[in-house]
Amino acid sequence: MRVHAWKTEPTRGGKPQIQKTIKRAALVLILVAAGLGVTGSVASAAAVSIDLCATTGTATMADGVTVPIWGFGLTAAAGDCAGVTPSLPGPALSVNDGDTVTISVTNALPAGHDLSFEIPGIAFDPGPVDAAVGTTVTRTFIANDPGTYSYQSGGSAGRQAAMGLYGALVVRPSTPNQAYDPPATAYDVEALLVLSALDPAFNAAPDTFNMHAYRATYWLINGTSYPDTAPGITAAAGQRVLLRYVSAGYDNTTMTLLGVHQRVVARDARLLNNPFDANAETIPAGATEDTIVTMPAGAGPSPHGYPLYNRQLHVTTGAQAGGSPAPATGGGMLTFIHH
Amino acid sequence: MRQRALRLAVAGTLAAGMALLAPGHAEALPPGAPKIGMVCTPGTVSGSTHTFNLVAKTGYIDTPDGNSVFMWSYANADAPDSGHFQTPGPVLCVTQGQTVVVNLTNTLPEPASIVFPGQDAAVTATGGVAGLLTTEAAASSGTVSYSFTAGSPGTYLYESGSNVAKQIEMGLYGALIVRPSAGPGFAYGSTTAFDPSREYLLLLSEIDPDLHHAVETGGSYDINALHNRYFAVNGREFPDTIQDNGSGLLPNQPYGSLVRVQPTLPGSAPALVRMINAGALNHPFHPHGNHTTLIAQDGRLLLSPGGTSASTEHFGETIASGQTQDFLLRWDDQDKWDPVTNQLPVPPPNYRNVFFKDSNTWYGGSPYLGYKGTLPTGVVSQNICGEWYFPWHSHALNEFTNFDEGFGGMATLLRVDPPGGCFASPASASLIGGVLNSGTVANLGVDDSSYYVVNPRTTSRTSATSASQTSITVASAAGFPTSGAYYIRIDSEVLQVTGGQGTTTWTVARGQLGTAAATHVNGAVVTALATDWYAGFAGVPAGAGNLRVTYKGKNCGGTTTTCTAIASNPPQQTVKICNWTIAGAAGCSSATSTGWVTLPPPPAQPQSVGSTDVSSTWTLPGSPAAYIGTGSNAGQVRVLVHTQRYTSPAPTAFSTWGNLMALTYDAP
Repeated sequence: MRVHAWKTEPTRGGKPQIQKTIKRAALVLILVAAGLGVTGSVASAAAVSIDLCATTGTATMADGVTVPIWGFGLTAAAGDCAGVTPSLPGPALSVNDGDTVTISVTNALPAGHDLSFEIPGIAFDPGPVDAAVGTTVTRTFIANDPGTYSYQSGGSAGRQAAMGLYGALVVRPSTPNQAYDPPATAYDVEALLVLSALDPAFNAAPDTFNMHAYRATYWLINGTSYPDTAPGITAAAGQRVLLRYVSAGYDNTTMTLLGVHQRVVARDARLLNNPFDANAETIPAGATEDTIVTMPAGAGPSPHGYPLYNRQLHVTTGAQAGGSPAPATGGGMLTFIHH
Repeated sequence: MRQRALRLAVAGTLAAGMALLAPGHAEALPPGAPKIGMVCTPGTVSGSTHTFNLVAKTGYIDTPDGNSVFMWSYANADAPDSGHFQTPGPVLCVTQGQTVVVNLTNTLPEPASIVFPGQDAAVTATGGVAGLLTTEAAASSGTVSYSFTAGSPGTYLYESGSNVAKQIEMGLYGALIVRPSAGPGFAYGSTTAFDPSREYLLLLSEIDPDLHHAVETGGSYDINALHNRYFAVNGREFPDTIQDNGSGLLPNQPYGSLVRVQPTLPGSAPALVRMINAGALNHPFHPHGNHTTLIAQDGRLLLSPGGTSASTEHFGETIASGQTQDFLLRWDDQDKWDPVTNQLPVPPPNYRNVFFKDSNTWYGGSPYLGYKGTLPTGVVSQNICGEWYFPWHSHALNEFTNFDEGFGGMATLLRVDPPGGCFASPASASLIGGVLNSGTVANLGVDDSSYYVVNPRTTSRTSATSASQTSITVASAAGFPTSGAYYIRIDSEVLQVTGGQGTTTWTVARGQLGTAAATHVNGAVVTALATDWYAGFAGVPAGAGNLRVTYKGKNCGGTTTTCTAIASNPPQQTVKICNWTIAGAAGCSSATSTGWVTLPPPPAQPQSVGSTDVSSTWTLPGSPAAYIGTGSNAGQVRVLVHTQRYTSPAPTAFSTWGNLMALTYDAP
């Protein structure tokens, strides 16, 4: 099952101590069912190491089609990509405000694809950003601005990101269960929504595909489409649901939530001076947004709860040419928030 | 004015185009719907419940390039002809706190439904069948009823919640307006006052005709290959967007989108422009002219955390798919343009900026708010009254087309009328009871120090007059009324002519208006007690509304070209307008003709007007069609100034000094 919420417990540890600093593994896999509450713990600044591999793999779409991807995966040892399976999107990374974060990325892509690792909005310590195939690039930064970020490869003129080399990074403030330092960003339930699109024809031939012919047919939330996104995000009436959007696709993406407004509190990991309530909210390509939904008491307009979907009507899955008359809605970038 | 006009050609000729329109309105609209501005669908109100009956059905629209496109839409089952197809769906206007019931009957071949994005109160569905996003009405004849409490005021979308990638593209959408309990003059709370007569809705949408054709014929279609060719505002593509609401040319597209304002005047409220993007694309909408002020999105005021306005000003703003935005619009005239006191020194448009087609013009940019200039042979109209047009359009310029042919598509016009409306100056001034002392008609066009001055007509007795004589002969009757009873003065006696008008032998009643009958010598001067003259206006368009007459003038003692102050007993002035329906032009041919109708109060008439200018404006209620000539008098309006003075027991000479005569009106 693919889901779009996570737990924040460290799931990986055991790294050797370096001097007196515990190297705390803070990254989090997307492992738990949607809507589980977030385990809070008072964060303290630490040195955090995250070791990633960029490698080839496959992703299975909601209609059963298997698509080749390039993606990020976690590795147990920096530089060793053996046995690493990439995910679409890459693993969700979570660090705490003040952490000194070291990310290593080992390039196990096909020959000739230099990887360029970047986290827009975060400045790395000086050093190379690119990794040739078979090499590792290591970047270090102090995570001192809470918020929702994306990480990605900027290599091959965007083709690497289009293949799936993207993921989310969350920097958490010192206060648990808040998106940012102000209490107004408190939440009960947290959900990450990495929005992207996929054209399997491109993925089948990433080096030679004519990008002018790029035509996405899969519209993804956390790498999958409805109904694989179901049942969605669980929250009780009155609970505050933090939606962390990462727009990782090629186009601006408008998400509408039926039955309740969402309060837009931050864009690109920066709080808004004037938060506002949106019904249809556009997240520009490459941008992130944080919104908070206060769950109403009612069950929502749908039998499945409150529909959250792509208002550009990318709610189909896969090729649509055969239908008569197409399209048949009920896939794509659609999920629900429910009690 | 702030000039932000691109040198884009804008429609300068509405007048000629209007003449082509079939009268009346499409049956989808309620009777009496305004021709311009948002039209609400009445629905049925019972107590606090507001009910609408909609039917999802198929129909066709016309596009400006001559195409006909198959559509799905919601229609108003309560429309005058019961469910006349229309796109977009009916504009549903409700009041905050009302229980809104929307009953849907589905005649489409697949399940259909309605969702109400932005309504945060629970929407209860009765009947129907559970669907993916909401409860649906089954195919072909299914029904479902939705009910909710209208929440926060604002502008909302309603749309299909079924098979949305297809059904929304096919046209299943409409506007839901929630008005605040504060009243119709407010968009939200008390900080959002607007002029309720200037409320506009611009609902954006897109059409890929290939999808529509596939749906119509049962053909196949690839939604991933969506290629929109038509881009609509309120279901029409430019230039159809500027036609009136209910234009007979567009029977299934009842909603126009011409935005019409006047320059901001002290105390005037702004216009409200409600925008909805029902399409699947985000649109960069670009209003030329003044900035628009974005006050709300998705039915929520934009506020700072402290509660103060967080509105922003725009001349380009992206409206996202499914989003709504509310704008206040003021036309702030920085140059204090006034057609009389501060004409702008602009020439007629440079013909290099003008496109001519047939007898019409499409003109580009300059001048603005000017008068009609000289036009090339065969071109009958530049614009209606010097108003200015600005294109409002999607700045994704491929959307500013009809099937890739520019410009068209997602565009409309902002029309800025002159302050107070269209303005007309007299084309002529005619004496029908008096003698021109000085001045010309041009003196009546401007509020300044030059006057059109009329003295009472005089003649003389040809013999001595006894105190009891009731038939008198005068040297000449020229310039005296040819019919009706009227007063004259000989020496200090006022007489009334009751017979023989138009001849030199008059039957008179003696000693009128408090004066005493007296004897008068042979050759005594006979003076009309009144002056009567009228200003003639030309070119007032048929269908003009809200006609207002302004007259400013004074009366002076004596009949010379110098104004002598009148210390007491000022002359009495009555301003009248010609009602052409009473007796045609003949009904207004002389001062006492039956066609002259006293302008209705306020201000009441007659007025006492002395040697200080008095300015008065009268508004004619209702349709002023009776006052605008037809046939050989087409476009003519005549306004009469009747002034008379009698001061018992010794009437004295006076003269009438007209300063300004003007007509303002709302052009059709």
